Amino acid sequence: MALMEDKERIIEDIRKAVISYDEEKCMSACREALVAGIDASEAVLKGLTAGMYEAGDMYSRQEYFVPELLLCSETLKAAMKILRPHLKTESSSTQGKIILGVVEGDVHDIGKNLVRLMFEGAGWKVYDLGTNVKLDRFLEEQQQIQADIIGVSALMTTTMMAIPKLIEKLKAKHSGTKVLIGGAPITQRIAEQFGADGYAPDAFLAVRKAVALMGR
Amino acid sequence: MKQKKDRMSGQERLDSLFHYRKPDRVPIAMSALGFSGKNMGLSIRDTYADPERCFVALLWTEDQYGWDSMPMHFRHVVLGAHDFGGNVQLPEGEYEGMNIVSHPVGSEDDVENLKLPDPKRAGGIEVATKFARLQESHGIPITFLSRSPFTMAGNICGLEQFCRWTIRKPELCNRLLDLAIAHILNVLRDWSNTFGAENLFIWLSAPSESNQVISPKIFEKFALPYHLKFHEEAKALGIKRFAYHICGDQNLNLPLIAQAASWRHPSILSFGHEVNLETAMKLFPRDVIYGNIEPALIQTETAQVVYDLAKGVIEKGKKAPGGFILSAGCQLPNGSPPGNVFAITKAVDDFGWYE
Repeated sequence: MALMEDKERIIEDIRKAVISYDEEKCMSACREALVAGIDASEAVLKGLTAGMYEAGDMYSRQEYFVPELLLCSETLKAAMKILRPHLKTESSSTQGKIILGVVEGDVHDIGKNLVRLMFEGAGWKVYDLGTNVKLDRFLEEQQQIQADIIGVSALMTTTMMAIPKLIEKLKAKHSGTKVLIGGAPITQRIAEQFGADGYAPDAFLAVRKAVALMGR
Repeated sequence: MKQKKDRMSGQERLDSLFHYRKPDRVPIAMSALGFSGKNMGLSIRDTYADPERCFVALLWTEDQYGWDSMPMHFRHVVLGAHDFGGNVQLPEGEYEGMNIVSHPVGSEDDVENLKLPDPKRAGGIEVATKFARLQESHGIPITFLSRSPFTMAGNICGLEQFCRWTIRKPELCNRLLDLAIAHILNVLRDWSNTFGAENLFIWLSAPSESNQVISPKIFEKFALPYHLKFHEEAKALGIKRFAYHICGDQNLNLPLIAQAASWRHPSILSFGHEVNLETAMKLFPRDVIYGNIEPALIQTETAQVVYDLAKGVIEKGKKAPGGFILSAGCQLPNGSPPGNVFAITKAVDDFGWYE
């Protein structure tokens, strides 16, 4: 068993490697964690997730941008492959379920993909419907999945006008579902006008908003 | 629509701006392809696919709202994915724009194997050329609407992949950038020969360079050098009219752009609503400032709100030392209520006159 100082050092190495998007170092530190007898879920939570949280915060503060955040999340994913088989229970780390999609007519997905990565990094179960998602498909998937949150994005002023129609349909059929929206032309005021439950200007804040919508 | 005290035509206003002379009033210009098509009853597909009908739609809509062609916007002449062999889909449905179905580059090997496209026939060049002929026949400056080399390069392989490669494989980015600028310049040279450089009006848009995507460091390393190369060639060809749509939030890039400022002066610099016009005027005193009413609000707010927004922008913009054109901060949304669009024209009529 690792000494407390070693344990802290290893977890810190994992965290820092995520932030510096150093896949090799991160994977190596994860292997070291397992050898040292560190609980895999602790390595995930305090190493990988904490690192991703910090990277997301840096993105919100415009210290990191899309390239850096993508690579941080890929580092996390690569490292998760090492730790996942050693997690005792998958569900213990599930924060909630979210359906994500880019609205009908729109194929711009960088923002949605970043949101997915941040939610996965934060321990959510993500159902990514992709791009150009027809409005009725959101309803069908929600019927099956019963997600806590539905996240919808649009990059264009044309496609964003599908969102209020989607929200109306969702609320009519699944009244308890929370809808979180985002995308370049969307603002807090527009989100309110559209009837959304929440709005987030970036991927990092999307996770925080989702947690708030869940009442936590 | 002629406004109450118009003493100049749109072309006269444009000429005055390019000679640092004040026009009679603040010109109004819009990138309004989808809106104009809808305004004149065209399907969205025909708006993009039929240059003749689209040209008529743009002319009528400009006249209806008192816009000045600065310049007139049709589809992009050059686009990355389409030109280099990817598949695009013309819009069909209520909410759609032109969408990329497949990128010509999927893997690292694809980058190496990529070839320069035909400068006359690739992508939408032939359709754009038809539109250009219509502009030529009507004595209107011919719009060369292009993405920046960086935006085009990202378009070829997908922006997400390009973003990864800016850090992991910069050499692949540089190869794509070299191909992008080579293609843009091949087409530009061809159009200069065909239409005469003095008749061309370049409109270069750079949405992928926004700080919502990349850092100023990446901008400086990858995007800026290619802007400099582009301007060197455009000037050498003798093209006198240039506009740069600095799309989205590029506040962190602005000091770098201002320091380089390698285009001919005055040029038109178009800003999104994310940029404070006073900042823009200070950084670019020798250029015409263009913008920047928030497009989404033109679509979602009331006419009064849009009128007030336009008034605010006019009051700031009129102080621009290099000149000013009122516009939306990016493309006018297709679904903008006509009354809201009129509110912008009314604001110019009420507040936009130079005494």
